[in-house]
Amino acid sequence: MASLELSEIQAYLFKDYKEMGSSKFYLLQVKNATAAKQFLASVADSITHANAVINETCLNIGFTSGGLIALGYNNEENMHSFSREFREGMVSPHRQRLLGDFDSSDPSKWQWGGPANERVDMIFMVFGKNESIAENYFQSLKQKFDSAFTVVHILDGKPLPNNREHFGFREGISQPVIKGSGVTPAGHNNDINPGEFVMGYRNEYDVYPDAPLLKAPQGNPELLTDNPDAYENESTGKPFKDIGRNGTYFVLRQLEQNVNGYWSFIKKQTMDEHGNTNNEEATKIAAKMMGRWPSGAPLVRHPDKDPGPGVDSDDNSFSYIKTDKDGEKCPFGSHTRRTNPRDHFEESTPGVSLKLTRRHRIMRRVRSYGEDFIGSAENHKPNGEVGLLFGCFNANISKQFEFIQYTWANSPKFKKLYDDPDPFIGVRECPAAGVKQNFTIPQKTVNKVIPDLQSFVTVKGGAYFFFPSVSVVKFLGTI
Amino acid sequence: MIKQHPLTILSPVKKGKEEILDKRLSIIRENLQQGTETEFKKVSTLHYGRFVILSRDSFRDEPAVPVGTRLIFSTNFDGGKDNHLTELVTQLTKYIDEIYECCEGYPEPGARTVESRKNYLNKYSIKTSAFFNGAPGRSVQQIHQEKGLRDHIWNYITRNKWNGSTSAVEIHKAIRNEIASRPEFAWAKQKAGVQGIKWLNIIGYGLLLLAAIPLIIIGAVYLFLFHELWNKKQTLTLSQLDDKKVNKLKEVEDLFPQNQFTQVAVLKPNFIRRLNFQIWMLRTRVLANNVFVHGKLLNIPTIHFARWVLFDKNRHVLFFSNFDGNWQQYLGDFIDQSGWGLTGIFSNTVNFPKTKFMITGGAYDEEHFLAWSRSTQVPTQVWYCPYPQLSIKNINNNTKIRNELYMDLDEKHAKIFLKRF
Repeated sequence: MASLELSEIQAYLFKDYKEMGSSKFYLLQVKNATAAKQFLASVADSITHANAVINETCLNIGFTSGGLIALGYNNEENMHSFSREFREGMVSPHRQRLLGDFDSSDPSKWQWGGPANERVDMIFMVFGKNESIAENYFQSLKQKFDSAFTVVHILDGKPLPNNREHFGFREGISQPVIKGSGVTPAGHNNDINPGEFVMGYRNEYDVYPDAPLLKAPQGNPELLTDNPDAYENESTGKPFKDIGRNGTYFVLRQLEQNVNGYWSFIKKQTMDEHGNTNNEEATKIAAKMMGRWPSGAPLVRHPDKDPGPGVDSDDNSFSYIKTDKDGEKCPFGSHTRRTNPRDHFEESTPGVSLKLTRRHRIMRRVRSYGEDFIGSAENHKPNGEVGLLFGCFNANISKQFEFIQYTWANSPKFKKLYDDPDPFIGVRECPAAGVKQNFTIPQKTVNKVIPDLQSFVTVKGGAYFFFPSVSVVKFLGTI
Repeated sequence: MIKQHPLTILSPVKKGKEEILDKRLSIIRENLQQGTETEFKKVSTLHYGRFVILSRDSFRDEPAVPVGTRLIFSTNFDGGKDNHLTELVTQLTKYIDEIYECCEGYPEPGARTVESRKNYLNKYSIKTSAFFNGAPGRSVQQIHQEKGLRDHIWNYITRNKWNGSTSAVEIHKAIRNEIASRPEFAWAKQKAGVQGIKWLNIIGYGLLLLAAIPLIIIGAVYLFLFHELWNKKQTLTLSQLDDKKVNKLKEVEDLFPQNQFTQVAVLKPNFIRRLNFQIWMLRTRVLANNVFVHGKLLNIPTIHFARWVLFDKNRHVLFFSNFDGNWQQYLGDFIDQSGWGLTGIFSNTVNFPKTKFMITGGAYDEEHFLAWSRSTQVPTQVWYCPYPQLSIKNINNNTKIRNELYMDLDEKHAKIFLKRF
């Protein structure tokens, strides 16, 4: 297996930068292409790559397809070799159906990235140990910046204490480990061929993922390597230069979380005839929906009780088929079981199931925004809007992010279910007439059903970005 | 048990009528998408129906014989063909007349009778090479009835508060009493016939296969040396496909939990490849009729109906499928679960990703296989399904609910029964 060229790959793919207390995502529009290219050429060496020593700050950058064109990478053939999902961006009629962005999540209502918003060309991700360090770092990079870009929108994110998100759950526990990246596998079945996340390497099908090539001459090709699949230019007989190698795609979605709505809904399910709710029972239902307890402890290991409120768990070494074939511990419809089915597809052996799961993984990169608030059955009223900046890296947006969102999360027919979308990210606010949305909790005899699920997550913005290698950033400075 | 069958009608479109035909089909499609279409459901024997305009442009590769613009009408139906055709021309008269007016050979307005219309459809219907049914024996009526039964029981179970100590056997009995008390479910007392795996046939086929091993090896080596080695490496990837074409396909995808797939490919221009294709069709027929009878085609658990149709003097092949989920999942399943089958069949068509001994490469060459699939796909102008909200797993599960309802179950099996909800 080809070893990874770590000094070329942007480090955010490998590292979560959780020690960075502040992350500021500047969404930029190119104002002056010449100035923007000069800026890119000068900033390329400041990009945090996977071999870089990280001190107090990090910098990573990505481009939308509109952004590449605005920079002048506008040769039609060259642009066309990028993946269709990236070229079209997150907003298209078909993609709206795939991602389920309807009603309040309709792209026309987004704060950024939607058709009613200013075009986003680039994402400039600045991280710092704390907010002032991040801010100062950004100011120090800003020479030549103002003439090149307009800041369209700023997303201010941070990790919440103990890696929680606003609903109250510990998150980011199950992450794939990229083979050859020098990180030891963290858990079961989690080491994945690099081609699932980085272009220019073999993926879990043992082929190279579709990657953009320099089809027509532009910029300084000396900065680029040949494509590994040896696709040749038929007229010259020479292999095409690779734009994708050591690059990846990044999905970013701003998800508003209605924490109060969520916990109120769950508590209502526990109401007895006197109108009293039961917090312990509510927490259990919420955990059933998530597949893990707020502490992170997995339900297959701890089906009845959170083993450690107050003690966080990163237990990720479990599987389903042996311990929970019927879903009585961890429901089939729960968020973690459907977005990472591990060793359990009914029609396949555990070995094959694991293989299938490995072909649909994403590297999650998540930050929270809004008040530092961690919800629970007892306390669920944050001040102001809170939410998640959901990000993920993948080499094939269609096969990975979109597949998980549509086929595993949004589809109510997942496994053998009838009417059960993912209770967190798959529920439609206004379902079509006659369409039910339930959450089924398998029990020893009669399953428990939470009917009429409501949507508590609203999409507020989103875009697909290309995260090129350091050399390709330099190359873009020469086009 | 009522058997399901495929019907494929291929008729030449009159010169100059292509546009108006397309327009008429578009109107039906829009009505279907908006839920305002009311005609198809009058055909009680109709599971899925589709109209596809197949023109020269539908072929990605150079056709093996000259082709004009043709209209494909395909259905999956219950029971006898004659009865189904009668239903089509009497219940869908408006569509049939409007659509086939644009085709050659359709009776003139004065000459249109039930018989003349049926004769026309019969005349242009073509043979199916291999056919898969995900729920053998389930008629449209039965599928609707069993959905009603399942929904009723589901409501009954979830509305009742069950005492934690009630056994599964007692709950099963309570459900049975509830259903028995309702005359509208009287039909459920009779068990539904379900097709089993036909072991004898499989053993027979297995023995034949064993006996043919030397031939298969010789064939594989011959194909490798004289054909596969010379096939061109495919370099087309999904990103490079024509945007307009892909968008036209996507326009009609993911509107319902189910989707359709229509594909046309050209067989390689030599005898041995065409023979090999026929052998694979035979193999698929044997397996589909004897083994894949429980809702899985080549272990893919999401297909309702699928078929292969050879036409144009066996030089071209059509593939139709009706499935749960979306394109990426469906094609991914094919690679993950049955890349060997797809490779065996489609490696005999031109510009399929290069294979080795018909086993490696091909469908396992994921990027190029997906691009091949997308680029040989044809837009489906009209697609009708009478039960778009049911997955094939749901349909098969509903039959099991019905059949287990009136059985005396022990505690273990009663628990399994309850887990079906």
